[in-house]
Amino acid sequence: MSVKNPVDEEVKRASIAQIVTTCVIGAIIRCCLSFSKYQSIIANHVEISTPLNSWKRVSEGLYLLSNNINPYSGDLLHETPFSLYIYRNVLRLFQGRIEYMFATVDVLTGMILFFSAKKYVEESYKEEIVNRHQYAKDVSSYLLKPDKIFLSPYYVLLAYLFNPFTVLSCVGYSTTVFHNFFLSAMLFSMVHGIAVICGIFLAICASISFYPFVLIVPGFLYFKNVHRSVVKALVSLKTFLAVSVLIVVMCTNYGKDFSYLSNVYGCILTVPDLQPNTGLFWYFFTEMFDHFRELFIFAFQINASVLYLIPLSIKFRKQPFLLTVAILTIISIFKSYPSIGDVGFILSLLPCFRHLFRCSQQGFLVGVIMLISTSLAPILWYLWIYCNSANANFYFGVTLAFAIAQIFLLTDILFAQVKREFVLKNGTEKKVDGEESLLYLE
Amino acid sequence: MEIIHILGVLMHIHSVLTSQDTFSEELLIKPLYSDQVYTHFHFSTKWDVDMDTETFNHSRLFPRALGEIIKRFNVQELHVSLTGGLWRYENWGYPVVDAAPGAEVWAWFRPDTGDVDKNWKLLANSLSGLLCASLNFVDKSNSISPEFSFQPSGAIDSPNVNNTYLRYASLPREIVCTENLTPWKKLLPCNSKTGLASLLNSGYIHNSRYHSVGLHLRQICQDESCESVSLDLQQTVSLVYDYGILGTKDWSLSKLFGQGVNGRCVLASRSEIYIDITSTTARAFTLDPQPDEVLTSVRGGHHSTFGKYTLPRNFFNIYTKFIDKEIVSLNVPPVLHANQYLTGYGQERGGIVTKVYNNHWSELDVVLLQDIPWYVPIYLHTLKLMSNDIEIKPVALRYVPGKQRERPYYLEVFIKLPPRSTTSVSIDFDYVFLKWQEYPPDANHGFYIGSAIISSILPVARNYTGLPQDGTLISHSFNASRSGYLVQVRTENMVITLPTPDFSMPYNVICLACTVVALAFGPLHNITTRRLVMKSKKKESLLVKLKKFLSFNK
Repeated sequence: MSVKNPVDEEVKRASIAQIVTTCVIGAIIRCCLSFSKYQSIIANHVEISTPLNSWKRVSEGLYLLSNNINPYSGDLLHETPFSLYIYRNVLRLFQGRIEYMFATVDVLTGMILFFSAKKYVEESYKEEIVNRHQYAKDVSSYLLKPDKIFLSPYYVLLAYLFNPFTVLSCVGYSTTVFHNFFLSAMLFSMVHGIAVICGIFLAICASISFYPFVLIVPGFLYFKNVHRSVVKALVSLKTFLAVSVLIVVMCTNYGKDFSYLSNVYGCILTVPDLQPNTGLFWYFFTEMFDHFRELFIFAFQINASVLYLIPLSIKFRKQPFLLTVAILTIISIFKSYPSIGDVGFILSLLPCFRHLFRCSQQGFLVGVIMLISTSLAPILWYLWIYCNSANANFYFGVTLAFAIAQIFLLTDILFAQVKREFVLKNGTEKKVDGEESLLYLE
Repeated sequence: MEIIHILGVLMHIHSVLTSQDTFSEELLIKPLYSDQVYTHFHFSTKWDVDMDTETFNHSRLFPRALGEIIKRFNVQELHVSLTGGLWRYENWGYPVVDAAPGAEVWAWFRPDTGDVDKNWKLLANSLSGLLCASLNFVDKSNSISPEFSFQPSGAIDSPNVNNTYLRYASLPREIVCTENLTPWKKLLPCNSKTGLASLLNSGYIHNSRYHSVGLHLRQICQDESCESVSLDLQQTVSLVYDYGILGTKDWSLSKLFGQGVNGRCVLASRSEIYIDITSTTARAFTLDPQPDEVLTSVRGGHHSTFGKYTLPRNFFNIYTKFIDKEIVSLNVPPVLHANQYLTGYGQERGGIVTKVYNNHWSELDVVLLQDIPWYVPIYLHTLKLMSNDIEIKPVALRYVPGKQRERPYYLEVFIKLPPRSTTSVSIDFDYVFLKWQEYPPDANHGFYIGSAIISSILPVARNYTGLPQDGTLISHSFNASRSGYLVQVRTENMVITLPTPDFSMPYNVICLACTVVALAFGPLHNITTRRLVMKSKKKESLLVKLKKFLSFNK
């Protein structure tokens, strides 16, 4: 096989100096904001701190633990004993400097995402060269261009480090930062084909926020279809299961009993805390009639976790990375306590799919809705909670718009992928029997 | 056969005559420093009875309805108070019985009680029927078992006290009025026909600045050896009248209560009125008729003088005449008092601050009890004790975090107050968002947080009117110097307005949220189940379509 190693080619890449500078600037921005007076204002925002990820609740849990009170006997804490253990020890490592801890973890996440994206881009470039002979003739403009595609990882880094969503989430000390770190580590090991590590990090992610357990399917497909190793796929699956059990055992030992289960997963699944956030659950279940509550909880949770899993996995089995991102997006839209940290993570992965952007149509619309809804959200919150001149409906409207923007973004990217595939196969000519024609879904 | 019958009746009469129960009625009237007069009715029923064998099928003076309740629910000790208004400790000193605004109930169950929570719920429901108060709202979600604050006040069997048999609940929103007083008066042996209870006309007593009816049941030792116990029921009414509302400073029984005393209660072994005339130095008044006896009481280094009247069998009234003297005296606030308020603005985050004042020249040990409802989640790590701007540490701390819709937050802090200090205890909380059906009909009225209770054993008895623990009558508090004097200071209630959803929106919200879900489902369904095909752009005309459609049907 005469595949040219992309490394040998004359391509544009981000230099190491560039990457280091970016990371340092990212870290400085985070630290500066953390030390400013705006930190507590940011940390108190419901879009950033949900009941599940607010640092205030973690510190309450740690305080109760240090006073020998079981933090799971109340219902303020929704973190697993395992993550409490991690926070406690990482905090000790940083000698109690929370600002540095969050900034470091967040910048590390950015770096890991950079390396994951780099590997993914290289792999997809290689694969496209291998498959070049199967494509139509006039599609060269649709193909991956080394001079563009190899800058994508750097854009991923930029998008993560300078994304206002992730910056605010980090400055607000939301534990989503840690969750994102574990997710990025899982992506990294997935694209690099380290099945055991992938299983471990996936189990950690699932233990923290439950929903990521569905990522085991794209993970499995990635090992099977990209790394072409069923063994690795099975290893990742088995590690995931084994580590999950191990975490449950550890949590039970550390938390003394099973009371944490109802506090963590009970809270995620049954949504007892109706504090507003950027998701759809809070107002829906505030206004829900009691006798329909169970029905809709089941419907919404299935919608957020497994409903789209099988159809998407079948359709995009050849693009498991895209599948992973798609599933992450669905989770972040429909999970019970989403925060903008989750959205920031997904947005920062988008540069990996730069080749799809020319097939997508709603970028502008999505951008405008996101911009407007994120700027309106705090304003309407202030009017509702502090001025009493607006009410819950205003804020609800904004969260609806925000969800719609994410949905459009997701469907747009997936459509773009389908379209690009079609074009690569059938060429760019838009004529059937010599007549102007359009693409339709049949 | 008949002889046996007659014998049975005779035996019964004998048992009634020898049954050891006594009833006393007392009234304490104390002009307060400020322009108020404090009246405290104290009805005490003592019954030498063994709770284990007594079935409460028959009773003479003791209210049978209450007896049945305590027997049925295995109650050791019961305290209920229904209060309107707030006792102003700073100006008024200490009342005989402390009570929090609204309804307050606490009970000790006997140690052989199986399901305490169930008995507690049933007890509250029965009391609700007995007193026509909303005590039926008391259940697990608003009850706590404080470890320090509420010790049994009577005799108990076991040497160690286990607070799992204690339940405390307060309903700060409860409005106390006539419908609570009427059933309460029915528990008295003479009802309200004669005796001091004839003064309790609801038309007058609810016009006062503070009114509190109470019911306190406990077991006390019959004698020093404490081999047998008696049941002691104290029924109290505390009222604070304002001269401003009365329209004059010359008060009399008929002015305060609408009429004089309609003779003594014939069943009462003691029927007395005490008027505190110590304060005549500051607010001089003359009494008409003259008291039967003038008592001097020295208690904890504090001198006071009382005029004592023994009620006659006929109609009786007391008049006072205010003597205008040009003496301005200084109010010495009591040793310990407290208040409580909310901090923060908006409906997102707030704080509760309890300020405890120690006016004593030495350190004072106090226990602060906070019973915070579940809809006010507090963060223990934000608990801060500042005494005269210096942070202090609590001596001991008990905390049980609350659970939404299940259990309130219980916080008990043992603090050593520095001498002559103001200590503020602050803690942060979040405003929660409830389900729309959990809001009361007037959601913007707000949600109540009950008063904090600060308990302490005071070393001095200045401004103290409470009974000693071994006493059952007001007269027992005269010359009753003890090593310490228990006070339980109650603070103000607080009201917070939780953020509300739009109550008219349920259908709209369900439709809109489901639309968004559908917005995702539609395209994803299309993408995953359909293929992309290239089709001619040329549109078919309606006629062609119709033809096609018809040809299909052929």
